[in-house]
Amino acid sequence: MIEGALWRRWMFYNIPLILFVFVLLFPFYWMIVTSFRPDGELYRPWNAVNYMPFWTNKPTFEHFRYLFEETDFGRWMVNTMFIAVTSTLISLFCGVLAGYALARLNFPFAGSLGTMIFITYLVPQTLLFIPLAEIIRNFHLGDTPWSLILTYPTFLIPFCTWLMMGYFKAIPKELEECARIDGASRWKAMLYIIIPIAVPGILSSGIIAFTLSWNEFIYALVFLSSPQEKTVAVGVTSELIRGDVFFWGSLMAGALLGSVPVAIVYSFFVEHYVSGLTGSVKG
Amino acid sequence: MVQAKRRSVIKLAGSAAAVASTGMAGILASGRTPAYAQQKTVHWLRWVDFVPASDTLLRKELVPEAEKELGMKINLETVNGNDLQPRATAAIQSGAGPDLIQAFNNNTYIYANSVVDLSDLVEDLAKREGGLYKYCRSLCSDGKMFMSMPWAVIGAMISYRKSWFEEVGFNAFPKTWQEYHDAGKKLKAKGRPIGQTLGHTFGDAPTFTYPYMWSWGGKEVEADGKTVAVNSKETLESIKFMTSFWKDACDEGGLAWDDTNNNRAFLSQTISATLNGASIYIEASRKPDQYQTEKGKPMKDDILHSPLPAGPTGQFGMHLMQSDMLMKYSKNQDAAKEFLKWIHTEKNYEKWFISQKGYSTPCQAKWEEHKQWTEDPVMAPFKIAAKLGQAPGYAGLPNGKAAEALTKYIITDMYAKAVQGMAPEESVKWAEGELKKIYSA
Amino acid sequence: MTATAVHDVAAGRRPAVRLRKLEDERWLALALLSPTAVLLGLFIAYPFVEGVLLALSDARVGDPGHFVGLANFAKLWDDNIFWTSVWNTFWYTGVTTVFKLGLGLWLAMLLNRHFRGKALVRAFILLPFIIPTVLSTFAWKWMFDPTFSVINWTLFNLGFITQRINWLGDPSLAMSSIIVVNIWRGVPFFAISLLAGLQTISPELNEAAAIDGARPWARFWLITWPLLLPVTMVVMLFSVIQTFADFQLVYVMTGGGPANATHLFATYAYQIGIGTGLLSQGAAVSLAMFPFLFVIVVIQLLYIRRVEVR
Repeated sequence: MIEGALWRRWMFYNIPLILFVFVLLFPFYWMIVTSFRPDGELYRPWNAVNYMPFWTNKPTFEHFRYLFEETDFGRWMVNTMFIAVTSTLISLFCGVLAGYALARLNFPFAGSLGTMIFITYLVPQTLLFIPLAEIIRNFHLGDTPWSLILTYPTFLIPFCTWLMMGYFKAIPKELEECARIDGASRWKAMLYIIIPIAVPGILSSGIIAFTLSWNEFIYALVFLSSPQEKTVAVGVTSELIRGDVFFWGSLMAGALLGSVPVAIVYSFFVEHYVSGLTGSVKG
Repeated sequence: MVQAKRRSVIKLAGSAAAVASTGMAGILASGRTPAYAQQKTVHWLRWVDFVPASDTLLRKELVPEAEKELGMKINLETVNGNDLQPRATAAIQSGAGPDLIQAFNNNTYIYANSVVDLSDLVEDLAKREGGLYKYCRSLCSDGKMFMSMPWAVIGAMISYRKSWFEEVGFNAFPKTWQEYHDAGKKLKAKGRPIGQTLGHTFGDAPTFTYPYMWSWGGKEVEADGKTVAVNSKETLESIKFMTSFWKDACDEGGLAWDDTNNNRAFLSQTISATLNGASIYIEASRKPDQYQTEKGKPMKDDILHSPLPAGPTGQFGMHLMQSDMLMKYSKNQDAAKEFLKWIHTEKNYEKWFISQKGYSTPCQAKWEEHKQWTEDPVMAPFKIAAKLGQAPGYAGLPNGKAAEALTKYIITDMYAKAVQGMAPEESVKWAEGELKKIYSA
Repeated sequence: MTATAVHDVAAGRRPAVRLRKLEDERWLALALLSPTAVLLGLFIAYPFVEGVLLALSDARVGDPGHFVGLANFAKLWDDNIFWTSVWNTFWYTGVTTVFKLGLGLWLAMLLNRHFRGKALVRAFILLPFIIPTVLSTFAWKWMFDPTFSVINWTLFNLGFITQRINWLGDPSLAMSSIIVVNIWRGVPFFAISLLAGLQTISPELNEAAAIDGARPWARFWLITWPLLLPVTMVVMLFSVIQTFADFQLVYVMTGGGPANATHLFATYAYQIGIGTGLLSQGAAVSLAMFPFLFVIVVIQLLYIRRVEVR
């Protein structure tokens, strides 16, 4: 009986899970090996006798050295972090307030406003970025982090609002009513009663918003120009791809290090993320 | 309207004296008082060079020197070559951005409305340095104005393995497509095919397919620039030949290669020849210990260059042309011109040219004589790259429509479709339809 | 907010008036929605209108052009590359969504139990979703490279293939390769979000059903799936929107090649608008995406509403 259970557990749970983890993480393993591989080994075709895809005997830190000494990689990390955090905060601020209004207040056109906010999420970036460039110019924001901090919310706010709306809907109306009977104003009830309950939801939309801004490429490419202002994704691709020569080692090293901060954020918040999302979709 | 007025003021000031920006007109034009002469800033957008040493030279030596001698600030920005176009477009549409933007090939025509005429500068330089090649002239000037200042041509030549070609009986590089086909067939049988991309990549794909088509007598449009002429017996022949050439002699992986793949394939010894800039050879000579032949000798000693083989109507080449556009929206046009003049003086430009080690061919005839070309015989064929070039859009002008056809990869896709199994008649008809949409508009 | 507070104190009697106003739901709603309205109005509504006008003109780079009505769309109607992109986009979105949902659900169920190292696994499998797309796509490109493919090496050494596979060079394989990468990127997001949904389902429900003799499969269909439907729909909604408008992945992998076999709406719009400088046509392609996406999303939203009401 126990034998059977063990066998079943491996067959139906452990082996599939191991396969999943393997496939999802293999590219990362590949990137790690590449970033430590000396250049000489990078140029071996797959059918060469000495092709060693999974290991290298002569690991080198050269690519990391290049990344930090020859490029502004450190700066790019700081920039990306600043931009992602600030735009996430702005979007959360707007999204939480708007989500609350749309989910819990009665006012004319509430439904259509919600739909409109959602529809803005559908407008393709490729259509927007040229008119946006004009706006950025008019506000004299070109080549400053603010050009991104103010444009990223365009795709973050709809997302946050939508998630928060779901979350607020799930919180029972009675909570607020009790507070108001006790004499709290509507404003205070929202600030001190409802929003604290919604913290897990705020966290999870914050995490996704952060990831999306960390990921963005086109706006960052077009609106920033000085090397020291660039974000990781744009900086790495523009300085480590030289015409028809790729700096593979450094490129992969940059990609890996570029995902570390987000990975850390996630490892701390993944629990909240899961519970936050749960709340937001229950309603 | 206001802008137009400003511009005429600048023009007036510019023709009066180069010091306009310190004069009253300059103040009016820029709309603010010049607190210091240092305030003039020229923002120069270029691609990240294939040759890292050249970027270092510009950054660490030439730019600081220019800043000192010209008393201005120069902001050199480098981006990935593929990303120059979105930057240029956004800058033009929003009316602000880099003062000088590098353009590739006939992209200049796409931006023709938004650039300043550089005729005086270019003609002056051409006169000093033995004349401008026809190829470079046609790409940068529409006959009325110079939309950009020619910088250099990145010659596209076939890099090939000397010893491997010798092994299959070709002591000299094949002269015609038929010979190249035969050599490639023998080489492919030994697991050393010819490598060529037919993918969507701005460098190595069109520089192969256009000259290839021309050498068979094909052309996209008649000299009037209106009548699409691609659907001809000659083009059809070229497509038929290409399909067998591809199957018999080429690495069939090439359909999706970008500009980097053939470099890697060549350096890892999986292909015997490929059309490319000199970057393969340069990379191999930079690291002779790393790139070695199967016999354990440095690979660089086994690489030679050759122009593309000849077809029934001759031998052609198309190369990557680099030029610098001075943008109309720029508030520092005079400073930018001053800088262009400075960097194109023989003394300064020569430093850059040498750092390229032959990778780039200057656009003026005088440089053919430069001793750099005698230093390394392997690089010598690049000397005349610019001289032999023909521009896309032939037999018409390389204008905006030709640029559109080029950036839509129509000629390249015509061959790619046939190679993938479409009937040659079908693929040429497809290309004709697409080209007609462009040229009739 | 602090600024208004200070102001209120200074004004003495006024805070009461103002706060009373906020007691009115309509005023409060207005106040709460205004930051969003300002940001979205400025950075979406205005550029959107500009974009629509662009699509109705014959503008090129540096040339504002004239109003030409629907001429650009008429041109698209005859453009077979455009229709290829339309078809590609639907295929790409459809296939990836089905796989992301199936695999994501499976992974979520695998994670929805107690085992050692669960927190670690859960954090690690999110990596594909976290890493900047452009950069991870470069890694995949290297793995698919015809000359250096580690995938080919593995398949060859396992005896599945005798010669290399041209992953990105063959038109249908190129599409499949891109689909694989998109699925790889999307599965973690689905899995983690669905896991959140799974955790809201009380285990007692399942236990009760088990006692009543329901087989695992039946338990899944009758209990888990209906309860999971709302979260599934929301996750799918976001995923479909993202995938439909995807740009970076294809741009880096193939640039739309070989021979336009992998163009999506966004990459084709980019090639025409930016590459060729025909801004108006590029805008038209981008805009053409809108009604398609709109219909898909409305259907999904209606479905969600129905599910929620149930």
